Amino acid sequence: MDAILQTLMDLGGVTAAMVFDSTGQLIGHRGHSIYDRSLCEQVSGALVRAIDAVQLQQEDWETVTAQFQDGRLLLRKVGATGGRTQILAVVADGSLNTSFATVAIRVAAGKLRRLFEGGSASSPGGGSSPGLGSSSHLGSSSPAGQSGPLSDSRPVLANSGLSWSKTSNIGLSRVQVADAAAGAFLSRCTKALANAVGPIAKVYVEEAVRRVALEAPFAMSMAVPLLDDLANQIEDVDDRKLFKATVAKGQ
Amino acid sequence: MTDLARIAKIPNVASAVLGDLTGGFYDAIREGDGESVAAVTGFISTSISQAGEQLGLGALGRVSLAGATRACIIAIDGGTVVTISVAPPGSVLAVERALDTTPGVRG
Repeated sequence: MDAILQTLMDLGGVTAAMVFDSTGQLIGHRGHSIYDRSLCEQVSGALVRAIDAVQLQQEDWETVTAQFQDGRLLLRKVGATGGRTQILAVVADGSLNTSFATVAIRVAAGKLRRLFEGGSASSPGGGSSPGLGSSSHLGSSSPAGQSGPLSDSRPVLANSGLSWSKTSNIGLSRVQVADAAAGAFLSRCTKALANAVGPIAKVYVEEAVRRVALEAPFAMSMAVPLLDDLANQIEDVDDRKLFKATVAKGQ
Repeated sequence: MTDLARIAKIPNVASAVLGDLTGGFYDAIREGDGESVAAVTGFISTSISQAGEQLGLGALGRVSLAGATRACIIAIDGGTVVTISVAPPGSVLAVERALDTTPGVRG
């Protein structure tokens, strides 16, 4: 996701790009330093309220372009999976070439849609919030926290019968495991991580496995580096401790 | 004062509603439920304005919504909100250009 958002950031005049869902949950963001996660979360809350009203005015909306005195805000519907709609937002100053940006945003939205659809397919239990967030956003710094929108779907993920096959996994995943124990360990990591980040946990685990195992099938010998990799990405210290403890308890 | 009749004469403008940022309704042309449209677009304008303030983008001037079958332009001028329904959606840019030359609704 970072790479997709970065392509938008590379456009002249773009100051921030973010993806959020219809519950206001920020899925990923890139931007100049002033557009930090906290600000983007605030903005996505206001934009979700606007989009809820847009739906009343025009149910089939695809794009919203807002022209301000000092810049522009462009929104594009990415897709709707797991009962939630994902929205791509691009913030730009007055120097943005709107025509050029429109094409780039369309391309980016298409890539994000494929990403989300892949994520959705990897949660057979359904009802979860699919998506692939920036690993740098992993954590529970969302104001929604444990009681936020994600919490509704966490039990679904926990009971979704996650499996990590020996050959290949479902949907987005290209993760291979060496044996059943390694598969069970990945499932345990995913469920533990879901407590901190919600249903997107499986995607984060897949990314971490790719970083740790590279092209090789994941084996239990890689468990410690994988655990460290995942833990290091959880911003909240308490959540990080809880994650480690939960995985260790299952061993 | 916004000249709604002039806006409604722009090619591909299906309807036009005049309201304000609080959702108040003043007038409509070729729109049967102007009260609802004014209320919804007032709320949309206020919410997007709020996001713009948070992002430091200044005052909101215009919002355009586009879908597969139709489009809508919301022009904000002070506290006044004009909602312009456009069909087909591909003609939004042409309507926006026409609005730029229409006094009182530049947004």
